[in-house]
Amino acid sequence: MKRSNEAFWWSLFSAGGIMAALFIPAFIVLTGLVLPFTTGGDADLGYERAHQVVTWWPVRIVLFVVVFLSLFHCAHRIRHILMDLGLRAVSTVLAALCYSGAAAGTVAALFVLGTL
Amino acid sequence: MDDLLRLRGNLDDTMAKRMITLEVFRYRPDGDDEATIQDYRVPYHEHWVVLDALNWIKDHADGTLSFRWSCRMGVCGSCGMMVNGEPKLTCAVFLKDYYPSPIRVEPLINFPVERDLVISMDDFLAKLQAVKPWLIRDEEEPPEGEYLQTPSQLAQYQQFSMCINCMLCYAACPEIEGIPDFLGPAAIALAHRYNLDSRDQGQSQRQEALGSEEALWGCTFVGECTAVCPKNVDPAGAIQQAKVASTKDWYRNVLLPWGKR
Amino acid sequence: MRGPLRRPFPRDWFVRKAGYRRFMVRELTSVFVGGYIVFLLVWLHQLGQGPQQYYALVEAMRHPLAVMLHVLALLAALYHSITWFNLTPIVMPLRIGEDRLPNAVVAIAMGYLPWVAVSGAILWGVLR
Repeated sequence: MKRSNEAFWWSLFSAGGIMAALFIPAFIVLTGLVLPFTTGGDADLGYERAHQVVTWWPVRIVLFVVVFLSLFHCAHRIRHILMDLGLRAVSTVLAALCYSGAAAGTVAALFVLGTL
Repeated sequence: MDDLLRLRGNLDDTMAKRMITLEVFRYRPDGDDEATIQDYRVPYHEHWVVLDALNWIKDHADGTLSFRWSCRMGVCGSCGMMVNGEPKLTCAVFLKDYYPSPIRVEPLINFPVERDLVISMDDFLAKLQAVKPWLIRDEEEPPEGEYLQTPSQLAQYQQFSMCINCMLCYAACPEIEGIPDFLGPAAIALAHRYNLDSRDQGQSQRQEALGSEEALWGCTFVGECTAVCPKNVDPAGAIQQAKVASTKDWYRNVLLPWGKR
Repeated sequence: MRGPLRRPFPRDWFVRKAGYRRFMVRELTSVFVGGYIVFLLVWLHQLGQGPQQYYALVEAMRHPLAVMLHVLALLAALYHSITWFNLTPIVMPLRIGEDRLPNAVVAIAMGYLPWVAVSGAILWGVLR
């Protein structure tokens, strides 16, 4: 019997699940709910501060790892949701679409984080 | 004391006048084109389980009704059916939990129906056999008497050894039907049980079955197999742990292809 | 003889039972997490473009719709975190001798404590 490569995708899914669980809620609070309402006010969380934090190399590396793995986590889950919703007949196409989407996002992250 | 017994008898009589309706799935392969639902009025007793009601139907109302049962005590695993859409051991669900509403009894979903409430187990048995759920040893004979095992070695797999093959987990799993090669909860739990057994040396043999395309990976951890398991086996946990083991095996094969056992 | 009867599993199974519905919600969190990651990349990109572009984006994020989306994404992400940590001890049970560590202990030690530490470090690191 052919050995399945699903183990590889599942390992990315799991690692991404851990990353997303640990990092994403705090990220959302910070970038989505705190920064828009503190920037420019008394507490200066403006461009300078944000840029300073994000360009620190350890932060860049953490951001890259979190983005890369979380994207593959999401791709894997979305692929399986779509199969559960009845698209099992086109599972190869789904896998190609989902994982290449995650790969594209990873390349974009590499580019964005590298050129900050 | 006699008075008490008489009172108890009278009470039982009044109870017996109360009735409950069972809506039973019927399918006769030699006659019916498709399945029908047949209603039976059954005496209601507080201490009766659904299986008691089915046996009452068989004995008093309709001898043609077919269903499997044996031990009446949750050990043999043969009386599993859908009760109001939920996979249940019918020896373990009481009429009183549904009374006075009618109870719908159907054969386990995800299995072909042979007749009435009797399902075909062929596919399940083939999957069970594929994972070699027995102790595999490199040498033929045990050295001296039995293999020794410490309590902590036993604890590693004990939970997964409680499976009674009732197949409720297969009826709870939404992935079974669409993925014919998925081995399913009970078979994987048993494979995992033997892989965790300190006396066993057959992990690589089982990996042939577990490592193939959809065998394990059909599972998306819905978790309902564990929710319906009457023996607290936690097949969902077993499958995820088997995924972890299979993933380690995959990386070992890719990174160290020359180091094959 | 017609042979065994095959019955299809309901195609809408994922809405039929509380357990199935919880599963679907858990899986669907990935759509929000993925959507947020795309936004995060946009945010980082704008940050790299200089103050003007960055402030334009931050301005747009004050829009009620943007806030609502972030709140939704946060709820989804929290649900993901909680379900993930609660399932961790089932996927990777820990044992001391004969006894399996209680699931709650593993979930706290391997999930909730690191979560609090990471979240605290991120928020404190930026907002202090």
